[in-house]
Amino acid sequence: MILDWLLPTLIAVLLVLAGIGAVRRANLWRAGQAEKVDVIAGLMAMPKRYLHDLHHVVERDKYMSRTHVATGGGFVLAMALVVLVHLFGIESKILAWMLLGALTMMFCGALFVFKRRINPPSRLSKGPWMRLPKNLLVFSITFFVLTLPAAGVLPESFTLGAMGNWILTIVLSVLVLLSLSEMLFGMTWGGPMKHAFAGALHLAFHRRPERFGGGRSTGLKAVELASDSNSMTFGKIHGVAKPSDFKWNQLLGFDACVQCGRCEAVCPAFAAGQPLNPKKLIQDMVVGFAGGTDEKYAGSPYPNKEVGKAKGGVDQIITEGLISSETLWSCTTCRACVEECPMMIEHVDAIVDMRRFLTLEKGETPNKGAQVLENIIATDNPNGHSPASRTHWAADQNLKVMKDVKQVDVLFWVSDGAFDMRSQRILRSFVKLLKAANVDVAILGDEELDSGDVARRLGDDATFQSLAKRNLAVLSQYQFNKIVTTDPHAFHCLKNEYGGFGSDALKGVDVLHHTTFLNQLIKEGRLELDAFASNGGKVTYHDPCYLGRYNGEYEAPRELLASLGIKIAEMERSGYRSRCCGGGGGAPITDIPGERRIADMRMEDVTSTGADMVAVGCQQCTAMLEGVVEPRPVIRDIAEILAGQIREPKEGERV
Amino acid sequence: MSQYDVLFEPLNINKLTIRNRIVSTAHAEVYATDGGMTTERYIKYYEEKAKGGCGLCICGGSSVVSIDSPNSWWSSVNLSTDRIIPHFQNLADAVHKHGGKIMIQITHMGRRSRWDGENWPNLMSPSGIREPVHRATCKTIEVEEMWRVIGDFAQAARRAKEGGLDGVELSAVHQHLIDQFWSPRVNKRTDEWGGTFEGRMKFGMEVLKAVRAEVGPDFVVGMRITGDEFHPDGLNHDDMKQIAKYYDDTNMVDYFGVVGSGCDTHNTLANVIPNMSYPPEPFLHLAAGIKDVVNVPVIHAQNIKDPNQAKRILEAGYVDFVGMTRAHIADPHFIAKIKMDQVDQIRQCVGANYCIDRQYQGLDVLCVQNAATSREYMGLPHIIEKTTGQIRNVVVVGGGPGGLEAARVAAERGHKVTLIEKAPELGGQITLAAKAPQRDQIAGIARWLVMEVERLGVEIRLNTEADENLVKELNPDVCILTTGGRPFLDQNPAWGAAEGLVVSTWDILSGKVEPGKNVLIYDTICEFSGMSAADYLASKGSLVELVTDDIKPGVGIGGTTFPTYYRSLYEKEVIMTSDMLLEKVYREDGKLVAVLENEYTAQQEERVVDQVVVENGTKANEELYYALKESSCNKGQIDNEALFDIKPQPVLENASFDKNDNGMILWRLGDCVSQRNIHAAMFDALRLCKDL
Repeated sequence: MILDWLLPTLIAVLLVLAGIGAVRRANLWRAGQAEKVDVIAGLMAMPKRYLHDLHHVVERDKYMSRTHVATGGGFVLAMALVVLVHLFGIESKILAWMLLGALTMMFCGALFVFKRRINPPSRLSKGPWMRLPKNLLVFSITFFVLTLPAAGVLPESFTLGAMGNWILTIVLSVLVLLSLSEMLFGMTWGGPMKHAFAGALHLAFHRRPERFGGGRSTGLKAVELASDSNSMTFGKIHGVAKPSDFKWNQLLGFDACVQCGRCEAVCPAFAAGQPLNPKKLIQDMVVGFAGGTDEKYAGSPYPNKEVGKAKGGVDQIITEGLISSETLWSCTTCRACVEECPMMIEHVDAIVDMRRFLTLEKGETPNKGAQVLENIIATDNPNGHSPASRTHWAADQNLKVMKDVKQVDVLFWVSDGAFDMRSQRILRSFVKLLKAANVDVAILGDEELDSGDVARRLGDDATFQSLAKRNLAVLSQYQFNKIVTTDPHAFHCLKNEYGGFGSDALKGVDVLHHTTFLNQLIKEGRLELDAFASNGGKVTYHDPCYLGRYNGEYEAPRELLASLGIKIAEMERSGYRSRCCGGGGGAPITDIPGERRIADMRMEDVTSTGADMVAVGCQQCTAMLEGVVEPRPVIRDIAEILAGQIREPKEGERV
Repeated sequence: MSQYDVLFEPLNINKLTIRNRIVSTAHAEVYATDGGMTTERYIKYYEEKAKGGCGLCICGGSSVVSIDSPNSWWSSVNLSTDRIIPHFQNLADAVHKHGGKIMIQITHMGRRSRWDGENWPNLMSPSGIREPVHRATCKTIEVEEMWRVIGDFAQAARRAKEGGLDGVELSAVHQHLIDQFWSPRVNKRTDEWGGTFEGRMKFGMEVLKAVRAEVGPDFVVGMRITGDEFHPDGLNHDDMKQIAKYYDDTNMVDYFGVVGSGCDTHNTLANVIPNMSYPPEPFLHLAAGIKDVVNVPVIHAQNIKDPNQAKRILEAGYVDFVGMTRAHIADPHFIAKIKMDQVDQIRQCVGANYCIDRQYQGLDVLCVQNAATSREYMGLPHIIEKTTGQIRNVVVVGGGPGGLEAARVAAERGHKVTLIEKAPELGGQITLAAKAPQRDQIAGIARWLVMEVERLGVEIRLNTEADENLVKELNPDVCILTTGGRPFLDQNPAWGAAEGLVVSTWDILSGKVEPGKNVLIYDTICEFSGMSAADYLASKGSLVELVTDDIKPGVGIGGTTFPTYYRSLYEKEVIMTSDMLLEKVYREDGKLVAVLENEYTAQQEERVVDQVVVENGTKANEELYYALKESSCNKGQIDNEALFDIKPQPVLENASFDKNDNGMILWRLGDCVSQRNIHAAMFDALRLCKDL
């Protein structure tokens, strides 16, 4: 008898409490800055984003993917049916049987969740997450039992009558309360189930919706500069100082974290013992906007840092008590965490947002950072070379210059490798290939400026914007169909970060990485190369972050190597799981100490394949990997390997 | 970014962009053997430099513009005929293909030549004064002849331009006709072509005007001048500054090349191409002085050999371009290696001057330590490719230059190489040669080879005397013997080597035998070893008489090296005696008596001394060779036809070769065959092993 009213009451009360929690939680997010999102479209797109994009990431771990489908899917279905059957009391054997089915499915999933928590890997957070599988099991068993009468398996009297049933009633009630507290109350009041609630909304209101369906974009929006005339932000700070400086949907995104630690497992800085753990960073962000301390955090700490001392508040400066600025400067912006995150959280953008405050407002870019930024401002290149020496490398290359020709098929964006003797070998190799393929090509010469990549990653968006605008102004004077570069960082900037400056300079222009372009040339039969004689040696390929994860180009470099007859000895961490060389995001400049060097770890990945040559497609990767002490495999840009195989013209034939 | 950025700043000469600051300056190559036409050898030699990254090559040192300036003595380029134009086109294409630039030096040598050959011309000079170095008598040039030669200069420049070369360099250095007019030492004229400053300048000025008028304003016309003739009656540095400014003021000269020293005596000639006895860049201050007064780029060569030195000179702004000519003869990939971050792999010139000393004998220019240089056309490689065939077990016995080169080349080919050396260090006779005063830099040859074999992972066993058993134990596919020789003191038993009456130059230089107080050196070889031993002993305080049966001590040493020995020996009061044979040595009253006999009169003389040193060359160490010969598949033989054609040894191509059935391949090279020199041993090692 009691259960007849107690059960619906409990369900109703907890649903109401969940509702109140949801409003409270939403209010925490609303402390963030306004950001326009299309609410309806976002909500409509959410299921597809969940089933397609998110599931695509989860699916990489088939075991967990199936476990989650059973548990999560079972729960969502069961909860809906619980409301129908037990709250609204709809008497339908079909519904009851469906509910039993859903609960069985959830039970099976929960068993596997339970099993995984028996001896969990270090990347998983413990704490409340350890009790979740038990509550999942309790929920599924309890409601299974409670639903048996409705399904006609047990008599209605099962829950009525005698003394013995009193005990059962009390037990069941307690179990119902326990499991619903976890599943409903906990969902909006900060329990582990929060991920379902915040995660769903995060998918709907994601700050970078174009990433769903595989779009390549930057999450870094241009900072509105106080110096801009008619700026609405005059007097406001640049970048993110306090949690409330994030956009509201960024705060929402932090809340979606399931603390699975996949980010932690792939983070090169974490592995190198630098004080960064992306999972902890996101949790600290939650501490920041929700207030409190990190003492309840039950995962791996930032390497060599204590847990429990960090305090946060929505209007408290993040780097004053919540996290140390070293944590922010340890990131190589490689996006390994972003790629692995099943909740589609954007760690890197958040880090750069916070760096902007440190650089633009505080002038606290560490180590060589300030010097490099000053160099860029004064000379338009990070190492402070004379701008007039930018084209010295090409003195003997007989390249056309845009200033003279105005119009060309392919504009070769040389990038700052122009100043570096090692990188110049890549440039010359690429030019050799372009000439062999009779490509109509020109360079900007001294009119080219640094792309702004380093400035932007170091948080100096003002300098990035200045470079971008001036580069676009130069580009807009000329006509070209394609712009090709050997530098994935410049490639990313040109392709994805030069929009939004009101310039048409790159409208209708194909922005290509040299490997993509060379692959086209080979496929079109414009470039004939001899097979590569490896003499029994093995070759592996290192995916540059800004080419692979940032821009999705994994195939062209591999096809190029295959076209030479090279069978790539793949590293365990390759493709979207490639480990960063340590050279991105200005990390070699800010140079936060760790226990190991990232490049050394990457070289271990290389040597474990038995390769004696590693092919790369990035001058920065080349520099980082060549910085590893010898003996080690040789490092060659794909352009260098290809240029060595150009079919020589027959005797008497003129090049 | 690199510490060498300053080397790689392009700079324009007139409108011509030179990709870096390194120049191969004009030198006589002795390769234009086809009647003064640039041959395939000539072109490949320069193409290799361009391929290796050299910014500007100025070829054809002393290339002649007129038919009465003989070119055959040094096989220099002949620009007196249009026949040269298509040859220039091939040369220009070969260099331009690799981004290099190429110009040619043009000249009329005036009295600085030999008249006794080719067209048997009367040599001409402003005042008919004989030139001592070439024993060249000459006539006083007449005005008609001057105007003809001026016209010849213009026509030669036209031919260079039509041939696609990037410029011409007027030689007004090394006492050619233009600077014969400049120098009051040679120009005693009182007409308008001499006397006053303007008069002495007139011939050069007319040449410059005629050339500029012919080629137009944009074609590069440079001028190579001396910075100081170092003759009291010649042009000093202030004179040269005045001259440089005078020509620069015309705005018709696009650059100046500056060389320290005149060269119409043997002693000054040695300054021009400073050998290893000189300090680095000894005459840079003269070039810097010229740069002070002119407005166009200045090039300076002379003992600039390594990238750090070049960098230091350029960063300090002394000159605009650094000439590294011998540096490129030793390693035409000099620039490429800097760019490849392989500075340690640059084969550095040691100033042995084998190149230039051969040139003065009318022989083709070769590098003592790089046998591939100028043999590119034959297929000798500077960059040795890895083999695509079988990896062989190669054992090299003997770590002198031949053995080191064999080990290096075999290792570059990818073979497993073991190098066995009896001594505690590698280098062979080079180690000894470097002990002499002013000869220490010769050790650079071995230093580079040792660094290379170490880099290439050759297994090196020092203090190990190889015998038949050791070689067999190592079970090589190929065994190369480079066991060298030993001093040949027992040729004449009357010298008393067996009784210990004479010692060798090796004993002296190695320090094995203490220097005597009063020493007679008997030198039948007349190359470096006897002179070095004399210099060494004298520097230790010995009283030395250097006796030879040849026509003069050191006669086998070339024109840029014997003067520096002579300076040192005369200064130390070493007595040099020619034409005397050492008949016999005997001991008397605790002293040694050396009996000398004049070759031409048979008159005998005796010397009472404390020590007799005999330099009679070496005798081959061939014991190991004969011990191994019978068990080798090729009986130790090298196929000379293949060797001379730079083709693989037939034994390597024998498909059925199996060392277990037939035995290993055995070769020997260097002094363990017969005494030759460093180049000969390294050349054989390279041409044998490049196809291994």
